[in-house]
Amino acid sequence: MAKPLIGTATARVDGTAKVTGRADYAADRTEPGLAHGHLVLSTAGRGTLRSMDVTAAEAAEGVLAVYSPFNPLKLHRIKTTPDVCFVGQFWLPLQDQEIRHYGQIIGLVVAETFEQARHAASLIRAEYDLLPVRADFAGRIAHAVPPPVAINHEDPQVDLLAEEFGTVDEALAAGPVQVRATYTQPPEAPLALEPHACLASWSEGVLTLRVGSQSPVGGALAAAETLGIGLDQVRVLSPYVGGAFGGKLYIWPHPLLTAAAARELGRPVRTVLTQEQVFTTVGHRSAVSQTLALGAERDGTLVAVKHDAVSSLSLSGVIYETAAHTTSRYTYKSPSLHVGQRIVPLDSPPTTWVRAPGEAPGAFALESAMDELATELALDPVELRMRNYATVFPGRGVRWSGKHLDECYRVGAERFGWQPRTAPRPQPAEDSDQVWLTGTGMAGATYPGNLLPTTLANVRLRADGTATVATATSDPGTGMRTVLAMVCADDLGIPVERVEALVGDSALPLNYGAFASMGTSSSAGAVRSATTALKQRLLDLAAGDARSPFHGLAAEALAYRDGRVVGGGHSLTFAELLAATGLSELDSPGASAPGAERLRFAVHSFGAHFCELRVNRWTGEVRLDRWTSVIDGGTIINPRTARAQIVGGILFGIGQALLEGIRVEPDTGRFANGNLADYLVPVHADMPDFDIHFLDHPDTDFTPLGARGIGELGVVGTAAAIANAVHDATGRRVRDLPITVDKLL
Amino acid sequence: MTDSTAPRPPTGDHQVPLELQVNGRTARLSADIRTTLLDALRDGLGLTGSKKGCDRGQCGACTVHVDGRRVLSCLTLAVGAQGKQVTTIEGVAEGDRLSPVQQAFLDHDGFQCGFCTPGQIMSAICAIRDGDTGSDAAVREAMSGNICRCGAYEGILRAVRSAAERTARQEGTG
Repeated sequence: MAKPLIGTATARVDGTAKVTGRADYAADRTEPGLAHGHLVLSTAGRGTLRSMDVTAAEAAEGVLAVYSPFNPLKLHRIKTTPDVCFVGQFWLPLQDQEIRHYGQIIGLVVAETFEQARHAASLIRAEYDLLPVRADFAGRIAHAVPPPVAINHEDPQVDLLAEEFGTVDEALAAGPVQVRATYTQPPEAPLALEPHACLASWSEGVLTLRVGSQSPVGGALAAAETLGIGLDQVRVLSPYVGGAFGGKLYIWPHPLLTAAAARELGRPVRTVLTQEQVFTTVGHRSAVSQTLALGAERDGTLVAVKHDAVSSLSLSGVIYETAAHTTSRYTYKSPSLHVGQRIVPLDSPPTTWVRAPGEAPGAFALESAMDELATELALDPVELRMRNYATVFPGRGVRWSGKHLDECYRVGAERFGWQPRTAPRPQPAEDSDQVWLTGTGMAGATYPGNLLPTTLANVRLRADGTATVATATSDPGTGMRTVLAMVCADDLGIPVERVEALVGDSALPLNYGAFASMGTSSSAGAVRSATTALKQRLLDLAAGDARSPFHGLAAEALAYRDGRVVGGGHSLTFAELLAATGLSELDSPGASAPGAERLRFAVHSFGAHFCELRVNRWTGEVRLDRWTSVIDGGTIINPRTARAQIVGGILFGIGQALLEGIRVEPDTGRFANGNLADYLVPVHADMPDFDIHFLDHPDTDFTPLGARGIGELGVVGTAAAIANAVHDATGRRVRDLPITVDKLL
Repeated sequence: MTDSTAPRPPTGDHQVPLELQVNGRTARLSADIRTTLLDALRDGLGLTGSKKGCDRGQCGACTVHVDGRRVLSCLTLAVGAQGKQVTTIEGVAEGDRLSPVQQAFLDHDGFQCGFCTPGQIMSAICAIRDGDTGSDAAVREAMSGNICRCGAYEGILRAVRSAAERTARQEGTG
């Protein structure tokens, strides 16, 4: 039996394309007769577009068309909601004169060259009738309202109270020890390094749209709905996606306008956004403010958890951060529990999913509050968490399909060399010449295990001994191609080099894509279903085809092993069998879908982070030195790409903790730092040394393969671990992210 | 309220003939005088390995070599690159044989989405050649002009260190 591939560190199957520059992203393709689009964005935050002077632009060299609300490209109204239609927002640009947020699309210039289009766009003058802009999140928290729809099938306010209490506040008051604090963070940008780009070309009424997307199928749905064409008249191609992080789940309006322009001009059109345009034309993460109160006995046992979150919600969209429902709702055992969510509607660019939506801010608040409680109780933070360990999902009475968070804490503490602490670290004397203050911190991490709706895959055996696996998901750097090839190769018992994984094409078997850490468990399940059926088809062929050496034997007497059909004294590779029977290929579809597991179990991935950092006593600079994470993610299919996912997630969380935040001008809604120089993200020098360890507990109650998602788990808890370590180092508790030097001086 | 922020280029015909030395070959093309070296490579010559992450010198994805030094091709005008030797990611392998730095990125998983990777590799080649990669700390500093939003820095660090060590060994024995 060949060594199983699953669980073996395997190099990415698309690696060579990426290190040679041959991987083609949306902006890399050209077409004969290509014209270039360039967006024009509003410089007002709310009101009405009174006029646009496009005379100079239309007269400029090379200009083919200037589209605006006064010369619109007609798009069909969205009949559903921004998430269901995969556009990401309610309204479509150029269809009316309303200004809904700063930096919205008010024009599209198409010219012969990129330079000409960009220049002509700069010649356009817009005049506005302004209205007051509602963009000040902090100032409007007092006006927050409950969201109109359920969160994870629950009310925006959930109270699970011990029967002796009428309110969570009564329950809190009964605890002899209490902590209460408010935690805030600014909006964050997903900020993939590849700016959103698209190339639209029409041929005989069929649109081919190249666009970097987490969901080619979603992009096709959006294009069909807004361009008034059938789903069979659009094909979305995303062979390579230059990072996504939630920002490329929805297609956003610019590809739809570009496709409409290409249809009207009868030429292929490519529109590449600048990073500055990306900030306001695609979505970002809500600003979040959370108030958390914990009540506990003196031994650390929680008596009540109260977590109220407020998030900004763009009036253009429906997505916002649900920080309490995604964390405090289930993380700890507590006889009384309250989670609440309110929203602050703003005239902002769309708020949307960004890596670990809800959990990222939620865990910052909850895991900081647990650290504050540990300090208050003079109890080690790991011990405090163990004293409130949940084995049953609160209020549902179901256990987890697999939960080994206790092992994450224990193994993590061992690997890190965690020193249990019960008292604050002594600070240096005033006249000490010590420059760096060292601190350590820890936090837990959780992320739900979900499955996509019906997911299809096709596996094909070829007479040349190779196989292909195809499904319409995408690989935005997660390693999806590699994982699919590995599962397929493992099931077929052939080397991974002989499997080609096809993704990034809406015409492939249905798959809603790579998001919410569902991609691997869903897609791999569909592949396994396909290979299982395909092996049976092959055995049936072997037994049933007159040209087969196995002909006459019962299919049940045959077996498929390591790429060969064996039985009755014969042994043929599938390639030999296909050749013998005159077939060039044999394929089978497969499918996966969520089942009753969600009713029987709670499903989450878990992890524990431990970090050590230094804070410069005089400048407030924070330097991360080392990091240990222990991850309980079920079966790890490819430890190599899994490690990259966790490390990348932690770096995302380091950005949240120390660097990132969109600065919104309250009077205009302008993103003052909406570019890659002023919106800081972690660079190489910001990275600590990583020790990443995966527990090996396949979650077969969740899926047969036992794999849960890990793409977002690394983000969760990271900011809290850092804030807790900063507190340990300095004695200062920073509850407003990012933890910049001014907050430590 | 009006907006008009971009500088005005001269009017008239902006197309000029260009002659560039790219990856050891002479390439002739017609381009706008405003065309950056990055856009000339990508749109003029079809060398799309160099990426446009920000077009403002903020991310490093467009890094190429000009006369052996790493430069940001998005901040370099194509007309200004004439008469100089330009090397892009497409020019560092020898046929199908990857350069040692490319191979090291493969071996150490020095990328995820791959978008910043050509720029990372071009930066790494120069940093190794310039002797800026003798320690982990040196690599982190030398490579901090190339942003990787996926957070593949750990693999990049190992790749650059291993390629640097291999280069040093080869030079030592050569």
